[in-house]
Amino acid sequence: MSTPTPRVQVPRTAAKGEIIQIKTLIEHQMETGLRRDSNGEVIPRKIINQFVCRYHDEVVFSVDLNEAVAANPYFEFYLRATTSGRLDFVWKEDGGRVFALRHDLLVG
Amino acid sequence: MVEETRAAGLTRRAVLTAAVAGGAGMAGVTLASPPNASDDAAELIKHLTGKTPTESDRLHLAMPRVFANGYTVPLTLVIDSPMTEADHVRDVRVLAPRNPLITVATFHFVPQRSEPRVSTRIRLAQPQDVLAVAEMNDGTLLMTRTWVEVATNGCA
Repeated sequence: MSTPTPRVQVPRTAAKGEIIQIKTLIEHQMETGLRRDSNGEVIPRKIINQFVCRYHDEVVFSVDLNEAVAANPYFEFYLRATTSGRLDFVWKEDGGRVFALRHDLLVG
Repeated sequence: MVEETRAAGLTRRAVLTAAVAGGAGMAGVTLASPPNASDDAAELIKHLTGKTPTESDRLHLAMPRVFANGYTVPLTLVIDSPMTEADHVRDVRVLAPRNPLITVATFHFVPQRSEPRVSTRIRLAQPQDVLAVAEMNDGTLLMTRTWVEVATNGCA
């Protein structure tokens, strides 16, 4: 299986107080644990179970994902730009693997 | 065809219920609110959260009415809320009661930081009412529902 690749789409700059749109996607199978392989064995569950977005190290949006989130989990959400700073995006997979991306937002 | 038959059955039942309720109207108040699908959803939410939700038009759950592919059904959730410290949405749970696993996802919002709005894509096993349940900062639960018809089982 390929390594999950996360992607984000965030504006580089924003006006103070502006609502910015953020799009995120991680390439991931989201194996539900409900399927069986050709030998009849249950394929173990392996999903992205949490997504967290931090702005200035403060959690500003997060999602708890269950099996029914579609493969390649996609989220489009909206944040209020306050001051220039770092946005961190973190995806957690069953079993503890973590995937992360970072983005610098310029607010002026 | 099956769906049409079922729809006709529901209509007939609704008509009969209305007739009975109308006839008994003089007799008392016990038939004031005839049972409907809403009660099942409310029961389920009470079972999951321990609280009784209120149906609210402050929640908007936009999904296609008919979608061929149950593996990736688009969903947009918008909540009417000022997102101030005094009045905001804490989180919203999306439920698909006819999926093998009911809870789809829970979205957490932060007052003055995130807007109460999100889009994603979900899996649906069969045609059903998808539910959204919002917990407000005062602890109250608001809910809404949207009927989605899928042609293929997205959970197989």
